[in-house]
Amino acid sequence: MKDTNGYWTFKIRKKPLYIWILRLAWVLWLVFWAEVALGSKAELETRAFFISLSVLFVSLFVGLMWWWIGLNKHKKQSK
Amino acid sequence: MNRRDFFKYGLGSAGVVVGGSIAGGTGDMDSVSQKSDFQHPWWVKQIKTPKLGIDEQIYSRFEARKNVFGSMVKYYGMENLRELNKRSREKTRKYYKEQKPGYRLEDRALADAAWVISRQGGLNRGTRSWTANFVRTPEERGVDKYRASPTEAAHLIKTAARYFGAATTGVAKLDPRHIHSKERGKTVSFETADEPYENDTNLVIPQKCQYAIAMTVLMPIDNIACSPTAISSAGSSIGYSRCEFLVAGLAEFIRGLGYTAIPSVNDLGSSVAIAVDAGLGELGRTNRLISPEFGPMVRLCKVLTDLPLALDKPIDFGLMEFCKVCRRCAESCPSGCISYEDEPSFKVKGEWNNPGHKAWFEDSPKCLAYWQESTSGCSNCIAVCPWTKKDKTMIHDMVKAASAKIPALDAFFNSMDKSFGYGRQKSAEKWWNTNHFEYGIDTTQGKE
Repeated sequence: MKDTNGYWTFKIRKKPLYIWILRLAWVLWLVFWAEVALGSKAELETRAFFISLSVLFVSLFVGLMWWWIGLNKHKKQSK
Repeated sequence: MNRRDFFKYGLGSAGVVVGGSIAGGTGDMDSVSQKSDFQHPWWVKQIKTPKLGIDEQIYSRFEARKNVFGSMVKYYGMENLRELNKRSREKTRKYYKEQKPGYRLEDRALADAAWVISRQGGLNRGTRSWTANFVRTPEERGVDKYRASPTEAAHLIKTAARYFGAATTGVAKLDPRHIHSKERGKTVSFETADEPYENDTNLVIPQKCQYAIAMTVLMPIDNIACSPTAISSAGSSIGYSRCEFLVAGLAEFIRGLGYTAIPSVNDLGSSVAIAVDAGLGELGRTNRLISPEFGPMVRLCKVLTDLPLALDKPIDFGLMEFCKVCRRCAESCPSGCISYEDEPSFKVKGEWNNPGHKAWFEDSPKCLAYWQESTSGCSNCIAVCPWTKKDKTMIHDMVKAASAKIPALDAFFNSMDKSFGYGRQKSAEKWWNTNHFEYGIDTTQGKE
């Protein structure tokens, strides 16, 4: 995000369409498991709650790591 | 999308929505009934005849006395029964002494107390009386009896049934073979009569009563999940008590409209068979009704009437295929009374089964004996069924829909259900510290 002439400018790196589809699928996957975790908690299903919460955090972590590694690679290439 | 596109598509969509609402709002009675009556989810298919068929040559009316409650002494043996009762009493004392959770005085008092309304009725007795208790008939009010099309009348009845506590309601044409041939030592007969009546030898149902209104009543899932304890028994008992209130209320309502109504819970005939005909569910491995919305977590009851009603159709949601690969109920049954066989068949297990229909028949005396053995009944088969779910997360609906449409996934879903810990026994101790819904049931379940 850059401040130019009183405007905030966001830069979104160009990516092939399949990457955007993968990102969307990842977000939907996270939302799905978050919903399952919350629902299981409301249902008092302890094991289901912990399993879904674990899947959610693992997915979040793996996705963020993947993104972060890709970002670093890009930064190195730009230099 | 530019600004022009935004207005073009945005306003267009808004127009469709508003137009749709207006069109919907000016519909006739039929469209009103379709909207407000309970509808099964989209993945439930309506079929012509129930999936587990009937052998027309064999299927006939069953004598109530032959069921396991009526003839346990004969099936189990007097000596064995005495021994069992003795063991049960000793265990009960031991559990009191140990203050075993789920078997303490407060647990048992709750289970007994939950029967209280159910005990007000019996076959043509009290709340299940075949004639009006107090409701004023149209004649007494000086008006004509209620007149409407069968669709309108079915809508009216379903709305009233829901008001009196039904989770789902369906209407079937009464198959007289579902009605007991004899009960309480009297012959149950169909005769040309204006009103149902009982004399020294007969219980008479008027032939004009051709409609059976079948209803499910939700049982509290948190209670049943504690099976086998007195807390789970309390779940069954309150289900029966709510059935009693429901059939009593609905029967009086129908009489108030000027028609005949015969309320019934487990008496008079097979509620399961009538509920299957009325499209409330399918017959599962337990030889009991499994509803697509609530699984086996329901009690059944019925009202027979001469009020002409639009009929519902039997349903298919892939349960038979699921039960073939699941067997969770059989595995969890401490008495081993539930069939492990791959396919349902016409082969009965004993006199307590009514022959002539295809099913996974159960060894009922073993089941009832375990009720005594456990000292407080058992509902394990209901608690562990993968169709028993609170619908607080959309994954259950997704799995049910996928199971109904792609039976090849059934085994996978069953093993996932187990891995996620569904169906494990819950603590009866914790039950007392849970903030329950009224009657222990979430009445919004299956309604979205």
